[in-house]
Amino acid sequence: MPGNRILRALAALIAVAFAAGWWLTRPLTIAPADLPDHEPDRAAGERIFWAGGCASCHASPVDGKRAKGDDKLLLGGGLELDTPYGVFRVPNISSHPGDGIGTWALVDFVNAMQRGVSPDGLHYYPSFPYTSYARMPVADVMDLKAFLDSLPPVAGRVAPHSLGFPWSVRRGIGAWKRKYLDLTPIAPGGSSELVERGRQLVEGAGHCGECHTPRDRFGGLLRDRWLAGAQNPEGKGRVPNITPGGKNISGWSAADIAYYLESGFTPEFDTVGGSMVAVQENLSKLSGEDREAIAAYLKALPALD
Amino acid sequence: MSNMKSRSLLVAIAMAFTSPLFAGDDPVHERHELMEGVGDAAKPIGQMLKGERDFDAGVVMASFETFGEASAKFGGLFPPGSETGEGTEAAPAIWEDRDGFEQALATWAEAVDAAIAAQPQTLEATKPVAGEIFKACKGCHDNYRIEDE
Repeated sequence: MPGNRILRALAALIAVAFAAGWWLTRPLTIAPADLPDHEPDRAAGERIFWAGGCASCHASPVDGKRAKGDDKLLLGGGLELDTPYGVFRVPNISSHPGDGIGTWALVDFVNAMQRGVSPDGLHYYPSFPYTSYARMPVADVMDLKAFLDSLPPVAGRVAPHSLGFPWSVRRGIGAWKRKYLDLTPIAPGGSSELVERGRQLVEGAGHCGECHTPRDRFGGLLRDRWLAGAQNPEGKGRVPNITPGGKNISGWSAADIAYYLESGFTPEFDTVGGSMVAVQENLSKLSGEDREAIAAYLKALPALD
Repeated sequence: MSNMKSRSLLVAIAMAFTSPLFAGDDPVHERHELMEGVGDAAKPIGQMLKGERDFDAGVVMASFETFGEASAKFGGLFPPGSETGEGTEAAPAIWEDRDGFEQALATWAEAVDAAIAAQPQTLEATKPVAGEIFKACKGCHDNYRIEDE
């Protein structure tokens, strides 16, 4: 019967389309052999930990509030991020073997941080800012793992995310990544070593763009508006424009920026506020040179208004 | 006779309705002004600490005095009913966690008292006592001021 042939053709078409989709959304990972020959350095990893702001999401909240002081090293997760896509629940990345990442191989950690892929081959949601971390030197990620391994194990798995359709279809992230997981540097380069160091911190571990850059309708960053300010993903209000063209910090010197990151005080001696408080506390733990590098990079950016 | 009485009554009623303007009963505005003054007084000290300005013990003490006057008045400028209005940056936590707010105010006042008592005559002597005050500024702002950019 002709109907049967049409149905069979349709079924074949659907199967091919599904296979193509499956192929297009496959996780792209780094193999262990691709890791550089680098001895992970725990002390260097601590710098990356603070620059990367890991504790600001992954430290378990205390009494419903963000962790402070030594509690920042207890990375049991549990913080909830209420977003237009649904509720993300931050996972446990402590050294706990069952509930955390204690059993992960080094390459598992690198793939999570820089390709957004879990050890089981599942895509991570980009609420985990691997699109920024992907631009870090791999050696820095290896150092970070050494530091995380030295932190206390915290028991307790965190519940999965509660997301709306179609965001709940995790495999779809594979397609999103084909456009938005982009390892190329963003700002024009080549001015000085200090600016390059600043670039590594800002475009990589610092993931500053994730808040300070506006996004398109698919949640990807608008690279041509890099650091030019955006809606606050964590609530109301705007995250400032930190390029030399914005009205927020255009009058600040590089020394003013570095001082602000160290102390939390603006040149007018107003204090840092809102979501930036946690960031400034993290950056205050870096060296003065790192903060100067960040400031130099910001002053060298294309001015956008 | 009754004309004058009615006129006095009218004037009295008018004054009753407009008295807030006379009495300066605008806590939102007053506390905002007070904080602006605190910021203006903090700036020269901060510049001295950053090495952008020559140390001057007189300027430092004058700023400490400004902080002291402000901290004495500030807590009283958050009556019920002043939670919103005129672009206030006062966080709801001030009323929801009144004890915490009072604690933050006390921390500020203590830091200022200690600084005034220390009477620092050098930059080195100023650093620790001013540092405690700035810590108190930040500590209170982190919890009790909203960013509304």
